[in-house]
Amino acid sequence: MGCSSSLPASNAGGIGNINNDNSATDSKNLKLKLVLLGDSGVGKSCIVLRFVRGQFDPTSKVTVGASFLSQVLALEDSTTVKFEIWDTAGQERYAALAPLYYRGAGAAIVVYDITSEESLNKAQYWVKELQKHGSQDMIMALVGNKADLHEKRTVSSQDAQEYADRNNMFFVETSAKTADNINQLFEEIAKRLPRPTPPS
Amino acid sequence: MDPDPSPDPAPPPPPAADEATTALDALSLRAAADLPPDFAAPEIDEDDDDEGYATAASRGGSSTAAWKEEMEGLEEDAYGDAGPPSPSSSGYAGERGSSLASSGIEEEPDAATPPHAPGAEDWARGKKHADEDDASASWRKRKKHFFILSNSGKPIYSRYGDEHKLAGFSATLQAIVSFVENSADHIKFVRAGKHQIVFLVKGPIYLVCISCTEESFEGLRGQLELMYGQMLLILTKSVNRCFEKNPKFDMAPLLGGTDAVFLSLIRAFSWNPATFLHAYTCLPLAQPTRQAASAVLQDIADSGVLFALLMCEHKVISLVGAQKATLHPDDILLLANFILSSESFRTSESFSPICLPRYNSMAFLYAYVHFFDENTYVTLLTPRSDAFYDLKDSRARIQDVLLKSNVLLEVQRSLHENVLRVEDVPVDLSSQPTSPPAQSSEMAIGGPAGLWHFIYKSVNLDQYVSSEFALPIKSPKEQKRLYKAYQKFYASMHDKATGPHRTQFRRDEDYVLFCWITQDFELYAAFHPLADKTQAIKTCNRVCQWIRDVENKVFVYGESTLAWQYHHCWGDM
Ligand SMILES: Nc1nc2c(ncn2[C@@H]2O[C@H](COP(=O)(O)OP(=O)(O)OP(=O)(O)O)[C@@H](O)[C@H]2O)c(=O)[nH]1
Ligand SMILES: [Mg+2]
Repeated sequence: MGCSSSLPASNAGGIGNINNDNSATDSKNLKLKLVLLGDSGVGKSCIVLRFVRGQFDPTSKVTVGASFLSQVLALEDSTTVKFEIWDTAGQERYAALAPLYYRGAGAAIVVYDITSEESLNKAQYWVKELQKHGSQDMIMALVGNKADLHEKRTVSSQDAQEYADRNNMFFVETSAKTADNINQLFEEIAKRLPRPTPPS
Repeated sequence: MDPDPSPDPAPPPPPAADEATTALDALSLRAAADLPPDFAAPEIDEDDDDEGYATAASRGGSSTAAWKEEMEGLEEDAYGDAGPPSPSSSGYAGERGSSLASSGIEEEPDAATPPHAPGAEDWARGKKHADEDDASASWRKRKKHFFILSNSGKPIYSRYGDEHKLAGFSATLQAIVSFVENSADHIKFVRAGKHQIVFLVKGPIYLVCISCTEESFEGLRGQLELMYGQMLLILTKSVNRCFEKNPKFDMAPLLGGTDAVFLSLIRAFSWNPATFLHAYTCLPLAQPTRQAASAVLQDIADSGVLFALLMCEHKVISLVGAQKATLHPDDILLLANFILSSESFRTSESFSPICLPRYNSMAFLYAYVHFFDENTYVTLLTPRSDAFYDLKDSRARIQDVLLKSNVLLEVQRSLHENVLRVEDVPVDLSSQPTSPPAQSSEMAIGGPAGLWHFIYKSVNLDQYVSSEFALPIKSPKEQKRLYKAYQKFYASMHDKATGPHRTQFRRDEDYVLFCWITQDFELYAAFHPLADKTQAIKTCNRVCQWIRDVENKVFVYGESTLAWQYHHCWGDM
């Protein structure tokens, strides 16, 4: 750790790279840094907590900065993937910090709420930012959450699917509340993970 | 509280004098009946509205862009080419728009504003009485209002009601402040009937408290200072630059999702003595237990962390700073308040930018926060934005030590143990060789000489301890009242104008209050209203002696405080 200076004013060194290594430990045990982005309230934290802890808590817990969680997923081909997940805050004041969390990430999940068209606009903003500043081979998923609220839907799945196709993302609608498609989402990302070539 | 008072920006043109008078009238918050129906917005400029309350999306978009530019330490290239403007927080902003429309302020219909998901606003804003505005009788009857607004009159925060419905009222407050500012007589407070209105001007940001709680002006002003500090903790002072570029900058979206933080601070004003003592309190622990915790924190601090704090709720278990860095008690208060009132910290470990306003109000630090259990948590602060994994490792090391040395168990035990009970204040037998003076049976409740409660602040340590509440003041309402009395006492004892008091003794129908200030400590004590003065003073002496006997358990001695010595003067008073 190289923080010898306790001068707070020296905090102008630019946003570093929090995700220093993104490598697989070996060909059977993969590791993946993943970041979730999207507007506040679309359900990013709920998706992660459903995946990591199998829980859904409907009470409000607006994320501050970013939360870090990890979870190991075993795939059918007997590989395991360890997800190291940055669940970022969707509140506006944190938007400028996003590069800190997405830089060096191997995958990004961009989330919107199917009952809010504006959250899709925000998702598209994040997709563009990732395309510009994220790593080239990042796996990107577009996720329409709160699929259980279909009676209040304002974003059609077809529109979202088309947008995802145009941007080389895969698309899925989920519900953190009912757990619908949550595991599938992470499995799909794991499957797309490039496998390290075994030493010959 | 104001480490770097920035010059006041040029205020907007002053309103006509009679306008300000109207504004003052409005502020008296008379009963609903004698107010004109449109009392809310006598001064609101129609042309302000289209600017400030356009569509939710454009509002949020512009504020995000301005704010992003202000975030220091970011690479310019990341935002040089702005790309699509970032739309603001979806549903809630949309909802604000529609609520504005329903309250009568015109809004351009905008196709891009989507219908809003019902219920979403409630979770995000979480504000009580969000449906109120300044036209509702309930809103006007509230005992204590807090507002934050910009010097162009844009609402930033309101304790009650949705700040966006209070645009007219904000404009009124702004008119008053700028009116008085322009008359070269900086406004501090206004009395209007039972109400006291206290102002605090911080560059482009105005803070206002309207209260009929009979708290002192100094007390309320101190509370506004803390509100400002809490805001800085979330945004830093660099937010001021957004106003330099655009005086009509709408700051409210930048505080999205933080209502709980401000509400919890406002609540603390009535139960947490740290809010007026400017000192922190420790969780009582046996010395070896605390040392185990301090040793590992010190180790971590030596390896590149600026501050490491281990806390249980609002109480400090141990804290260390790197080199000569010291943490101001107000920063501890605001940091703990922020962490404890933001639920998400309890869910999982977090890494978040945070500003310590007393340490450096211009820059962000990065805070690693982890809860070990329901109420015990560690906070590691660093200027390095890429330090997360190092801090995560440090936390693991800390956790190891805490578990091995049973610190977490001892912490839970201490939480449920009454350490300083007035009943336990030692009775000095030597001074009372015969039987103690006859006491009425109600005087027997509590400690010796009818002692009900005390707070002892060590000036050198910036720490205080307070006793458990004795039976006569068990109810939260009683406790609130006692704290208000202490707060008033504190203000009068620290009022430079009336000279340095050493002691004060006050008797009213509720209690006998006693305050004793020396170079080393401050003692605030409350007795039964019929307590005998001589006996009370003797008891206070014994309390101080007692605290000295247990100081190793109730105070934290960090490296920075090793200078503390046993040289209090315990003379007669
Ligand atoms: N009906 C329904 N509600 C959901 C679902 N997922 C989340 N929610 C609700 O949406 C609200 C916000 O969810 P969060 O996960 O906290 O949102 P977030 O995206 O993490 O928000 P930020 O942390 O502020 O960025 C919560 O109160 C949930 O109850 C879902 O699948 N269905
Ligand atoms: Mg979240």
